[in-house]
Amino acid sequence: MRDDGDKITMLTMALAGNPNSGKTTLFNSLTGSTAHVGNWPGVTVDKKEGVYKKCPEPIAIIDLPGIYSLSPYTPEEVIARNYILDEQPDCVINIVDATNLERNLYLTTQILEIDVPVVIALNMIDAVEKVGDKLDEKALEKALGVPVVKISALKETGLDELMARAYEVSKRERLGKTVIEDAAVRHLIGDVKIALDGQNVKDPLFHAVKLVECDSIEVEMHPSALKTVEEFKKTHSDGIFGDDYEALIADARYKYISKNFSSVIKRKNEDRMKMTSSDKADKVLTHKIWGIPIFLLILFAIFHLTFSEDLLYLGAIFGLPSLEDLGLTVDGEAINYGVRWLACFYDGAVFSPGVIINNIWNDMLVGELFGFLEGLVENSGMADWAIGLVNNGVIEGVGSVLSFLPPILVLFLFFSILEDSGYMARIAFILDRMFRRFGLSGRAFMPMIMGFGCSVPAMINTRTLADDKERTATIRVIPFFSCGAKLPILTAVAGAVVAVFGIGNADVITFSMYVLGIVAAIVSVLLMRSTTLSGETPPFIMELPSYHAPQFKNLMLHLWDKAKHFIKKAFTIIMASTIIIWVLTHFSFSWQFLADEEINQSILANISRFVQPVLTPLGFGSQLGEYGWVFVVAAVAGLIAKENVISTFATLAACLAAVASLSLAGLDIEAEDGVDAVQAMINATNVTVPALIAFIAFNMTTIPCFAAVGTARSELGDKKRFNGTLIFWLASSYIIASMIYTIGSWWWTAFIWAAVIAIVVAVIVMRNKKAALK
Amino acid sequence: MPIVLAPINKPVKVIRIFAEEKTKKHLESLGITINSQLTVLSSSGGSVVCRVKDGKIALDGNLSTKIMVTE
Repeated sequence: MRDDGDKITMLTMALAGNPNSGKTTLFNSLTGSTAHVGNWPGVTVDKKEGVYKKCPEPIAIIDLPGIYSLSPYTPEEVIARNYILDEQPDCVINIVDATNLERNLYLTTQILEIDVPVVIALNMIDAVEKVGDKLDEKALEKALGVPVVKISALKETGLDELMARAYEVSKRERLGKTVIEDAAVRHLIGDVKIALDGQNVKDPLFHAVKLVECDSIEVEMHPSALKTVEEFKKTHSDGIFGDDYEALIADARYKYISKNFSSVIKRKNEDRMKMTSSDKADKVLTHKIWGIPIFLLILFAIFHLTFSEDLLYLGAIFGLPSLEDLGLTVDGEAINYGVRWLACFYDGAVFSPGVIINNIWNDMLVGELFGFLEGLVENSGMADWAIGLVNNGVIEGVGSVLSFLPPILVLFLFFSILEDSGYMARIAFILDRMFRRFGLSGRAFMPMIMGFGCSVPAMINTRTLADDKERTATIRVIPFFSCGAKLPILTAVAGAVVAVFGIGNADVITFSMYVLGIVAAIVSVLLMRSTTLSGETPPFIMELPSYHAPQFKNLMLHLWDKAKHFIKKAFTIIMASTIIIWVLTHFSFSWQFLADEEINQSILANISRFVQPVLTPLGFGSQLGEYGWVFVVAAVAGLIAKENVISTFATLAACLAAVASLSLAGLDIEAEDGVDAVQAMINATNVTVPALIAFIAFNMTTIPCFAAVGTARSELGDKKRFNGTLIFWLASSYIIASMIYTIGSWWWTAFIWAAVIAIVVAVIVMRNKKAALK
Repeated sequence: MPIVLAPINKPVKVIRIFAEEKTKKHLESLGITINSQLTVLSSSGGSVVCRVKDGKIALDGNLSTKIMVTE
């Protein structure tokens, strides 16, 4: 065990390796159920930790992000590098993909330069041996000077031996070793190392090599030693590389690798040109013309399987009877318990798997449980206000978040499958050309599509983007990809519009709102990339890993992580905010408890009335009269969590229903989908259709939710950039919503908007031309 | 010649990379260095997919004009 002052800590080992080398699979196999997510020092980014128990003492295993080198290209690489250097694990387990040995060993040669015990896990050895190739791990071990163990993370073979060897070496100190053989460069590295040694720098060899490579982090950290390097470069110039030492060192690493390792691997078939099945699949999936249509088809299938209430359109095609037609339900009530289960799967059409899971979860599990709890509270004999607080505040609020769990998890499952199978990298590649026109690289696609599930993991995923400005722009538009929690706003308001005004089709309204979000994202990216975040579109360099079947165990672990995150959110932030809203609607400024029908005197009503005029151009401000402030409250509540919008509607509608002067008879305010609650709001305020559409648009594009805002802040790092992001969200939602309302109400205002947009575009183009000339 | 014009399915050698420092480093860690061998598998509309060592790397159209190769 390592002794940190007087605190004795557990033995720690870090897993390092290339992306797609099977690192996560190895981590899951080693740690099993002990894995948990923590935070990396300094950044609030998920760090996976677990415990391996089969050695004489328990060992903490840390899963580092997948990296290609220890040079800081992406933020992930910086995290991995800093962990190994600063936290000093007792051993680094370097996982190496045996099917792409030379490239993987490039990272190994860098890790070996650090003064840390290292073990090489030669993964996917089964795939190598299957094609008849042979790998001599003893020869490799001899060449590298550290233990090499053949493993298969997938089949869980060789793991015990790997950990036994790792345990053994972690007990001994190891000094860094470099593979660079060029005499002049070696000499220079030696000199720099001595200089750093004199300054008591830890891992002097690693820092010396990186300094010679002119690594941006090192140059800042060791300015004095840099002088030595610069002096040297002036006097020495290499024939091929000139003074480009970093290319020279990269070449030296690969030279060493190929010299030593061509003898390690015995290929049965020398021909590397043979088409593998992955290559054949790529011929179709990344095809010039068919690539994008195939992708769109797959995307449509995913959304269909998650959200459709008519699987494969069987109901529409065959005109299947509804449960009501079959006499199994009467006025929407099931005649027995079995029918209630049946209704989860079928009602005039077969539901998609996503909807089935959703129905079972909400109607049978969460609904029952929370109904039971509310009943208990109702009959508990507590004071009226306490019952209201627990039932309407706490239970309703938590229930509303939990009810969104199924669609988010199902969508996330499909995206995990795309990711694990290797197809996600291809999508990024085929979309790159299109994205380039908007000033982004194809890599930005992954976080954006994840935004349809939830903005939080989507924003974390932007860490794979190397360019800072591209990252900022992507984080800002991620909320425009309407997340799972915004869907209920769309369906409830769209449903109410159709029910009250009898126009349009709810599905069409919902779908066009999704499209609106995407268009808003494209326009804002274009705008940002040509003004505040201008810069060259970053290059697209991406490895296309071999296709392979995703693993059930890994998928389930991903899902479990996600589910835990949401449940945590439901019981913390959402619960707190619903309690606050409940209190603010049930107390007046003099802290008098108000009954539901006195809602107009509540603190919230008064504050909202104050803000109301600001929202007049958006259609849901002062023009709505006495009860118009309810839309303001819903929108403000949505800033905390979008789940709040509909639950706030339900709370407010219940209060409105108690006001006798409003005739709201016949509406089922408590209905889960919120359509009737929105109808109650429409009747009470006489809001117009354009204003309702503007209301949806506002909610979709404004500040997303507390959780996403927090993530954006930690991912952006820079305070100024974060404030800019908040202003951006407010401004874009205000502009989009007011545009929809004014044009929807008075068509001729479209000309005014067009003129304003034309002027803005002209100014930007002219300014950029001027800047280009300078 | 730039990699975008290189013959398909024929091994070529990288002779120069005109990208900025950070990009060049990333290319190196993926195995695209001066003196290294690679094979273009497909190229469409400027973007290129090539086999580097035992892996497959995709590059965008702009970058593929900046990597010079020779047969």
